[in-house]
Amino acid sequence: MEGSSLQNTHVKLLGFNLLSLKPSPMNSSTFYLNRHPVSRAEILGVITSRDQKPNKFIKFTVDDGTAAVTCILWLNQLNSPYFSSRQPATVRVLADLAKGMAADVQIGNVGRVRGRITSYRGELQVTVSDVVIERDPNAETLHWLDCLTLARRCYGG
Amino acid sequence: MASPAIKSGALVTLPELQPSSEFFKEGASLRVTGKLQEYSAETAIAVVADESATLRIDTQHLRELSFRVGSVFQFIGELHIQPNNEAILQARTGRNVDGIDLDLYHQSLQLVRQFQAERMNNSTT
Repeated sequence: MEGSSLQNTHVKLLGFNLLSLKPSPMNSSTFYLNRHPVSRAEILGVITSRDQKPNKFIKFTVDDGTAAVTCILWLNQLNSPYFSSRQPATVRVLADLAKGMAADVQIGNVGRVRGRITSYRGELQVTVSDVVIERDPNAETLHWLDCLTLARRCYGG
Repeated sequence: MASPAIKSGALVTLPELQPSSEFFKEGASLRVTGKLQEYSAETAIAVVADESATLRIDTQHLRELSFRVGSVFQFIGELHIQPNNEAILQARTGRNVDGIDLDLYHQSLQLVRQFQAERMNNSTT
């Protein structure tokens, strides 16, 4: 894996590891995991808080036992100028998807969250692309082991 | 947006949670796993066990959970030490984890701790 780029991969990270990534001084969407530039992450843990601003966003916390990571799932697809240049039908699909994911985000559920790593007021968080609720009671253990293996074999240095 | 920061529940096994343990502190945020031994619908107090260790859990905020004695549950919450030095976990979240491989869970938990300790040391040196 030496030399291969992790820039466009969802790197599987434990919460404390994600929160300790170093921001790139050159590019606000890039962070450093050791010497690897990364921009996306996958985390998994228990949802321990949920704060919804209707039609704007839902802010929730994922606790994997090592840290509580703040996640933002945007729900503003239908009224944000950011989406105005896209096909209305596509935007509607995106809005429905986000709404469905928001309904799944409930305190006590275990969520597998993928998204962009972002910085808000100096704190790192995940801007969510997708959330999947895990029902397998071993999913979290297996995620920890994936994170440890990847840290040693692929994300090292 | 101004909500108090939610603390992460440190992973701990019930046998480790002794008065001499670093986790045994008033207000400590913890995540515990154990088999439901007792549950009182009246007081919402549950007792979970792992090997011979037990812990009382106050589940008053988890009214939607269905408590079945013999099932395995996992809780995240804050530990409160009572005057008689007995601990009770005020649970914020709870879930049924029947089917969890507890041996794998315990072993993996140790590996996660080791990894975390290594990384923390590296970042401070």
